[in-house]
Amino acid sequence: MSLLKRIDDLSDNRKVRSGWFVFACLVFILVIVVPSIFVVTNLFTDWELVDLVLNNEGIKDTVLSAVFNSFSIAFIVTIIDILVGLPMAWIMVRKNFHGKRWLDTLLDMPLAFPTAVLGISVVMFWISPDGISIPGLGLSLSPYMMVILLHIIFTYPYMVRSLSAILEQIDPNFETAGMTLGASRWTAVRTITLPLFRAGLATGFVLCFARSLSETGGTYIALTMMGVQTSFFTGPSFISFLKSDESLYTSDEMMGAQILISVVMIVLALVLMFVVRKFIAKFRIPYQKVWPQIGRKVSQGGLPKLKDGITIAFLIVIVLLPSFYIFMYLTEPMPQMDYGTLLTSIAISFGVAGVAVLVDIAIGVPMALYIARHKNGKLGQILDNLVNVPLIIPTTALGFSLSLFWGGFGLDSSFDLLLVIFGHISFTYPLVVRNLIGAIEEVDPSCEEIAMTLGAKPFQAFSKVLFPIINSAVIAGSILAFTRSLGETGATTSISQNVNTVPIYITHLVEDGLYTEAAMCSIVLIALCFILMFGIRVVTGRRSKRDA
Amino acid sequence: MPEIVLDNVSKKFGETVAADGLSLSIKDGEYVCILGPTGAGKTTCMRMICGLTQPDSGRVYLDGKDVTDDPVDTRNATMLTQSYALFPHMTVYDNVRFAPQIKGWAPEDIKQVVRSTLHMVHLEQKAEWMPAQLSGGQQQRIALARALASGSKVLLLDEPLRALDARLRINLRKELRTMAKQMGVTCIHVTHDQDEALAVADRIAIIRDGRIIQFGTPSEVFDDPATPFVATFVGRSNILTGKVVRSDGESTAIDVAGTVLLARPSPMEVGEEAVLAVKIGFTRISKKQEEIDAAYFTGTIDRVLYEGVTITVEINAGGLGLISSKLPNRKFDDYHAGDIVGVSWAPSKASVFRVPPEGLEKELKLE
Repeated sequence: MSLLKRIDDLSDNRKVRSGWFVFACLVFILVIVVPSIFVVTNLFTDWELVDLVLNNEGIKDTVLSAVFNSFSIAFIVTIIDILVGLPMAWIMVRKNFHGKRWLDTLLDMPLAFPTAVLGISVVMFWISPDGISIPGLGLSLSPYMMVILLHIIFTYPYMVRSLSAILEQIDPNFETAGMTLGASRWTAVRTITLPLFRAGLATGFVLCFARSLSETGGTYIALTMMGVQTSFFTGPSFISFLKSDESLYTSDEMMGAQILISVVMIVLALVLMFVVRKFIAKFRIPYQKVWPQIGRKVSQGGLPKLKDGITIAFLIVIVLLPSFYIFMYLTEPMPQMDYGTLLTSIAISFGVAGVAVLVDIAIGVPMALYIARHKNGKLGQILDNLVNVPLIIPTTALGFSLSLFWGGFGLDSSFDLLLVIFGHISFTYPLVVRNLIGAIEEVDPSCEEIAMTLGAKPFQAFSKVLFPIINSAVIAGSILAFTRSLGETGATTSISQNVNTVPIYITHLVEDGLYTEAAMCSIVLIALCFILMFGIRVVTGRRSKRDA
Repeated sequence: MPEIVLDNVSKKFGETVAADGLSLSIKDGEYVCILGPTGAGKTTCMRMICGLTQPDSGRVYLDGKDVTDDPVDTRNATMLTQSYALFPHMTVYDNVRFAPQIKGWAPEDIKQVVRSTLHMVHLEQKAEWMPAQLSGGQQQRIALARALASGSKVLLLDEPLRALDARLRINLRKELRTMAKQMGVTCIHVTHDQDEALAVADRIAIIRDGRIIQFGTPSEVFDDPATPFVATFVGRSNILTGKVVRSDGESTAIDVAGTVLLARPSPMEVGEEAVLAVKIGFTRISKKQEEIDAAYFTGTIDRVLYEGVTITVEINAGGLGLISSKLPNRKFDDYHAGDIVGVSWAPSKASVFRVPPEGLEKELKLE
């Protein structure tokens, strides 16, 4: 109580307020942004290592093809997401039907699954004899195709969510007005609603692309299960592969390869984000031309129904069934499990995720407050863009960069756990802050101002007025960040080999060919995630009921 | 002792000047309206008083104390905005209780204050409702109750009635004044609605381009505007420009396009360019021959606008342009388009101004 009062009193002091903000900014820049991209400086300081790679045709080709695979897969995945995500967003926002809430929950499920788990599940589903027999159709899935199928699963929800968020804000009356003016539904949607979509498309594109580019655990596991982890690489899976063998990753050439891959991926990802934002803002969908006949034809009869049918079928066959296939293992006989290791790794995972989320909130709140309330200021815009940086950078590169940065301060392997936490803070921070910014922008700024004119000190205005209004967004952001941290493999491996989170433990099991054990661990992890999310929902649901 | 003093305050937002050496002093318990066009700096003026905006220069005094650098929460000046800003997650009761609780009053006092203010705004039966469940007028009254319950001695109303429909606005503006007077608070009410300002204010401050251009009672501002702008902004005026041909203790005579018109006495000298402003309600017209003979000039009725309680007759007066006259509704059947009428006014009802240096057109522009 007295502590709160002291904070209240301190918050009256303008210097203390700006001091706190400056502190949050400094932590953000020095602990999150700079370490994330620090590896770029190694390009100059350790050029001789990189030079080794460039002079070795074999390694050079592997590195370049890995980077190419990463970017081309991310691109294809994102395009597919847009094509099937758009009609899905439509169904979720504009249609009312029985079971919509179930569909809504199902959509988010893949986000709660650690990607390592998805890797096992997807490969099991698509490859016989345990899964569906594609050879009967004369198809066999190349590693490239398999990675695409895997990445669609965990990027798809992001796309649908960002598109629905924008669609919800677009007044359906625009379409209705278009139709009363004589346009068919298809033409109305294409010429009126779609052009308003650009912002959501840009967000969705960047999110999905970055997520696919960044994904490590699931990809590496899928490739391992297909037995091609030593011949087919994506950028992050190459680094994972190197980390699996100490003699590999400590060699000069491979150090150079890691630096090269990390720098190329970081720079390309950032450039790409910039270009996409600029491009989508300028891009003009050719909506001036209309083809009324075609428009009318596709708006009538079975076509719209067919479109919805395909959308739902895609969701079920490509996204949901492969994700849940892992539960088939529950029918297998129980394997001999090393519960001790599993429990320790669960404790580490939850500990890392919990600490990361708490830090995110503590330093993310002042940042979100500033950005949301200074959207038009120069500093506000710069920070707004900077916050996205850790989200765009592939986490493997981020982790590698981070370990080089802190390694420079002499933080050796005894600080591994701390560094892993730092890494997890970096890539979860944007998730929390983005959610907060969105929520704060919705709140009338005069609410806090009036509270202060009524005698509330600035901190009281925040804690008694603003925070209770946005607390569901804080919780939503925290859940997102928590599950993301729980499922992360790439950042963890590239920072340290000694911190055994659950996804790392699962990866090791798969490497040793212990698929059933890996699957059981996955199921335990998923179950814990759901219990946690359900628990939070119950607690917050009860609280909001009491408030109402 | 004056309760609120703004002493030569200035504030710029980038290139926009929101306050330009603005000075204003408001007496204890006074109900003052700040009236001005959009973007004149009305809201900034209020925000500087309660501390939400910091002036670039100049001082702010409350109750004789320099509060320019004091934080918002210590000033005891409460604001009420057009969005009401009721805390959406709290019941009506909790909203009203907010300030007393924050200020740490005794629980029984809090209860007492909340009950009595809710009673005052006739909404005690809605205490357990959420703000979103209330109508606009009810929300407005809750916001008022919340402000009154805070024990603040200064109440800042920023266009508090803007979001309400016309009839409710007229009822509530009376209530606002009554309650402010009852509670003995000093009240500043920002509005761009001149009728609202004239109806509720003890004094009206006309603000434009970040400066106070006139500060006086409603009748002073209406009858004796300080500038041509005030003349047209508070109640419509007919504006005419010409040359002074005679200026003495009885009246000022101005030659406008060959017609000599009379206005109240002024310090202006013969030969000077002058602007004459006369409220359309003070502009008399008549069809009777003897009155046409005595009139300043004649004109043909262009059209008659029906407004309910009043009508406005627009007269084409040749070289003098279009002249309007506001009349009571009962005269509606007397005047028709095409009628010839004589136009006149009592010289004491017409004001005379020097031509503003930047030109009359710019002076009269609203934005």
